Amino acid sequence: MRQVLDIFTVAAVSAGALFFLVGTVGLLRFPDPLTRLHALTKADNLGLGLVVLGLLPQAEGFLAGVKLVAVWLLAQLAGATVTQLVARAVRRGGPPA
Amino acid sequence: MSGGDESAWPVSATVVRAIGFLVFWLMLAGVNPADLPAAALAVAAATWTSLHLLPPGTWRLSPVGLARLVLRFPLQSVVAGVDVARRALDPRLPLRPGFVACPARLPPGTARDAFCTLTSLLPGTLPAGTGQDGTLLIHCLDVGLPVAAQLAREEALFADALCGGVLEERGGDG
Repeated sequence: MRQVLDIFTVAAVSAGALFFLVGTVGLLRFPDPLTRLHALTKADNLGLGLVVLGLLPQAEGFLAGVKLVAVWLLAQLAGATVTQLVARAVRRGGPPA
Repeated sequence: MSGGDESAWPVSATVVRAIGFLVFWLMLAGVNPADLPAAALAVAAATWTSLHLLPPGTWRLSPVGLARLVLRFPLQSVVAGVDVARRALDPRLPLRPGFVACPARLPPGTARDAFCTLTSLLPGTLPAGTGQDGTLLIHCLDVGLPVAAQLAREEALFADALCGGVLEERGGDG
């Protein structure tokens, strides 16, 4: 059982890291600030979600698990809020080079 | 933000929120008697702030609607992440970025802001403010997708969950 959980952790955290990598690839390849924001928010939030999911079986007790999920939720909330503000600012300022 | 009429805050709402914040503190910091003064201070500050920014009665929550919204969210996160990954890794970089104007049927203010926050986590959409005619300007990775229809569906689900299903009718008398 322990081993199954460990394999799950390795798989989920690796998948999460992959999405962080892909988000960065998008950040570098996408053509303008707004599309780059898509890359960052969507890929990184899924990446963080997978890392948290993978770490849950390793958490020491229920509280530690809840704390991990809270970290994910707070990061989502902060990311989603700031993204909109950046997008709004970019649109008002016209498309920068 | 207004909402500063402190005498109008119902005691029940204050107590419920304070308990919520206390539980959140205990969750993050653990149960430790030495922390009690700091915890009390943080809970009081958080409760006061929350009552100011989100006066009681702002939301009309529906447990079923909320559950539906919450359960959809992980799948949508996956779809959104995979969609970005596919586009970022494709050598041809298949993007058709642009703005789509979506009529906003949620009342302006907290409800619409919260919906925009949710929208920015949904696949392919990124709210970038409001147009002059009050429409939501949504930036999309692919303007060929039926973004407006998708958003209208999400808006209805959101309104069911948090606003008692109330949406403003637009462009007609119905």
